[in-house]
Amino acid sequence: MSLNLLLFYLLAFTAVGSALLIVSMKNLVRSLFLFFVTLFAVAGLYVFALADFVAVTQVIVYVGGVLVLMLFAFMLSNKVLLSDLQSGVKGVFGMPSWQAGIIAISFFTMLLSVVWQVAINEPQWITEAKQQQLLIRYQDNTIHHLGINLMTRYVLPFEVVSVFLMMALMGAAHLARKENQEP
Amino acid sequence: MISLTHFLLVSALLFSTGLYAVLAKKNAILVLVGIELMINAAVLNLVAFGRYDGGLYGGQTFALFAIVLAAAAVAVALAIILNVYKHYKSINPDDINDLKD
Amino acid sequence: MDQLSQISTPVLAALIVLCAPLISFGLSAIAGKRLRSGIPATVAIAISLLAAIFIFATVWNGQQVHQQTSWFRIGEHSFKAGILLNNLSALLLLLVCAIALPVHVYSMVYMKGDYGIHRYWLYLSLFCFAMLGLVMADSLLLMYIGWELVGFASYLLIGFWFTRPAAIKANKKAFLINRIGDLGFLIGIAIIYTQFQTLDLVALFGDHGMVREAFNDGVEWRYAQHAMPAFWLTIAGAAFFLGAMAKSAQFPFHIWLPDAMEGPTSVSSLIHAATMVAAGVFMLVRISPLFDAQILLLIGAIGAFTALMAATIALTQQDIKKILAFSTISQLGFMMVAIGIGQYGVAIFHLVTHAFFKCLLFLSAGAVIHEMQHVKETLKLELDPQDIRNMGGLRRYMPHTFRLTLVAALALAGLPLTAGYLSKDAILIFAFEWAEWQSAWWKFIPVSLLVTSALTAFYIARLVFKVFYGKPRISAIGQGTNYLHEAPRGMLLPMLFLGLCSLFPLFSYNPLLFEDTWIIKGFELPETLERVNIYHTVVPAAVNGLAIVMIFIAWRWYAQGKYPQGSLRGRLYEFSAAQWYLNVMYEKGIVKPLLKVSKMLYAFDRTIVDGLVDTGAGTVRWFANTAQWLDRALVDGLVNGVGKAAVFAGGVLRGSRKGKIQYYLFSMFLVLLIVLFVGLKIFSP
Repeated sequence: MSLNLLLFYLLAFTAVGSALLIVSMKNLVRSLFLFFVTLFAVAGLYVFALADFVAVTQVIVYVGGVLVLMLFAFMLSNKVLLSDLQSGVKGVFGMPSWQAGIIAISFFTMLLSVVWQVAINEPQWITEAKQQQLLIRYQDNTIHHLGINLMTRYVLPFEVVSVFLMMALMGAAHLARKENQEP
Repeated sequence: MISLTHFLLVSALLFSTGLYAVLAKKNAILVLVGIELMINAAVLNLVAFGRYDGGLYGGQTFALFAIVLAAAAVAVALAIILNVYKHYKSINPDDINDLKD
Repeated sequence: MDQLSQISTPVLAALIVLCAPLISFGLSAIAGKRLRSGIPATVAIAISLLAAIFIFATVWNGQQVHQQTSWFRIGEHSFKAGILLNNLSALLLLLVCAIALPVHVYSMVYMKGDYGIHRYWLYLSLFCFAMLGLVMADSLLLMYIGWELVGFASYLLIGFWFTRPAAIKANKKAFLINRIGDLGFLIGIAIIYTQFQTLDLVALFGDHGMVREAFNDGVEWRYAQHAMPAFWLTIAGAAFFLGAMAKSAQFPFHIWLPDAMEGPTSVSSLIHAATMVAAGVFMLVRISPLFDAQILLLIGAIGAFTALMAATIALTQQDIKKILAFSTISQLGFMMVAIGIGQYGVAIFHLVTHAFFKCLLFLSAGAVIHEMQHVKETLKLELDPQDIRNMGGLRRYMPHTFRLTLVAALALAGLPLTAGYLSKDAILIFAFEWAEWQSAWWKFIPVSLLVTSALTAFYIARLVFKVFYGKPRISAIGQGTNYLHEAPRGMLLPMLFLGLCSLFPLFSYNPLLFEDTWIIKGFELPETLERVNIYHTVVPAAVNGLAIVMIFIAWRWYAQGKYPQGSLRGRLYEFSAAQWYLNVMYEKGIVKPLLKVSKMLYAFDRTIVDGLVDTGAGTVRWFANTAQWLDRALVDGLVNGVGKAAVFAGGVLRGSRKGKIQYYLFSMFLVLLIVLFVGLKIFSP
């Protein structure tokens, strides 16, 4: 077992474990802080998939943006929101959520079977990519390639996403605005 | 090099956890967190498969898009949750039951 | 860019000539009601005029300029678009612009305050653009496009006052009759294309063009690999002539022109002088090598007949614009005769001179009508402002208009010192010389022209004397108060310009000899007729003698009021006044039978076709009723039962859901799970 794999398992365990803790915690603030841990661990996993820029983006956008947004939004808005609103849920798999547990577990089984099939019959395009040495290599400068691809091949989705982002943020601002501010 | 299966396994676990949170949690914020977990699992898959897309970097590019869109979704969702709270004085999804007839 | 740098200066100027009215058209179309002044249109046509002068200076008697670019391909046939500038098109460009500019300036005053004036400028620009495009086109196809556009723009302009039923009728008439001609043109183009595989004017009708090189032995018409029976050549010529007949208002298609007077007078002047009716003559000259002897004879005969007929009709009309309209038809007949005898240069010469003095006549008439309208409105009289019976003695109130009209009238009558004298005598003399070489029977052409020119002198003298001499017919005008006054300067200046152009110095330094005019010198005479000297002295003398006699008679009758009452009110008078009953004949001979046929077809449609359909429909309806009952009783019952059951089941099941979001999500994922499961089972290998 290489060090690589060991680190990967460590990160994977952290990510999955913290995710499980999030759903089992009663305290919202703790859950949110645990979400930090999950996101960091997932960012680490991205690095193992040779996507260092995506990992950095994950850290900046999620950890720096989304989570801070969540925390601030609720800390600033109302105390009631922070208190545990779990009504009648006891333990990790509280009674009312057993149905959800079943669904989640069966979904997991389903995904597992798919993963199994992918592992056995490797998709053709992956085989071809391996043969033709089209993989992303360790020494590749991903940011360089990403930048070029974003500005050439994927420039249309890039623009669409930027317009969408603007609309979403305007919508968010409109929704969050206090109603009685208007005369 | 870590095999694809490992990544898929981890992402399946994350996805199921997120799904459980979405379905079971009685706090809209945690539902949102669940959604984010699911998105992260999807991004992990994109990135893992994108490793075999050396020429085009499609997987990583769209992973970036997904992250950015998720961030936008969070912003809008938080705004909606705030408004819901203003209106219902609660963020328990069970209390928001105007959909029934 | 390469192509742009290769464009020679004359072609560039031609593009400017063409584009200026187009831009003005676009501007007016965009600006709509905000652009009422007409300044853009006038400026545009002024720019065109400047560019046209430049073209004329470069091209006249110089190298012909021809530039084209590939336009489009259909299969193996490629079509080209380009500009052809030679003596003919340069002269016509100059003429069109030089006529259009005064008309524009005049219109700015004449049309002032009209409700739809923005449309007026729009249409006028389009009209000029179409005519300029037609003139400089280098292929029959482009020419046809311009031809159609001219027809369409004239349709719009004639129907400019579309609230008047008469205007609508007139523009429909003009459009339909032009359509017949367009059809002829199109057939001609098709024949030419079939034979020569090109529509390029230079390649077809140039000095060593295909038409001249083509071989015709009376049985077969052959060029390169293509051969047709020889009569197709005649048919092609006749088809093109049909087009020209409709556009240039030749018998029997002249009937649209008098009705076209329903448009504004300034438009009439443009149509009659330089644009619309000139297009037909221009086209015939452009494609002149195509015509064989029979067609030329036909053109000459129809021209002569039209000239005579229109002149006789003009004798008795009472509407000032109608008189001028028939005069135009008559003069166009002269041009056709010139073409028919092969003297294309003379035809164009007459076209040019006629353009100036006819435009001037119309503008003067417009000024008079303007004043009469003014009188009518101030005095609240019930009178037709265009009827010459209501006018009279206007000389004292509108002296400038009178003088200018007099110049134009003298030019039309063909008296010396005017441009009309030069061109009309040229046609007459050539006609006589030509007749020398034909069988005696064809002498009727020059003779009828001679008669026509005498009649011309009479009717135009009648118009001038009735309008400007004698005493005012409306009693109120004579009584002190000065209701009538001179036309405003904005109208007089363009008229003055045209009046100067109607005199001889513009065309020749020698006022008496047409051979010295530069326009005729500019066109090579296709076949030089042997000069018969006697005609060169006798004919002008005869024309002028007759004209002076006629004018004197008119003077006695109309100016001095010694009209021979009663003695002339015969059949002939009625015949002429009713415009030879041609409209009635068309009505009875063509329109009525057509209506009858269409009514019969309608009746057939109603009783037999509709009857069948109705019976079918009835049967179908019976079936439908039965089916409806079945549907209600059986199918609906079943469906409603199922629906009710579903509603019941839904109601039962709904109890557990309570509108909670997560329950919906739950069901959603459950279904998704099942679908995925089944999908995997089915599609996995």
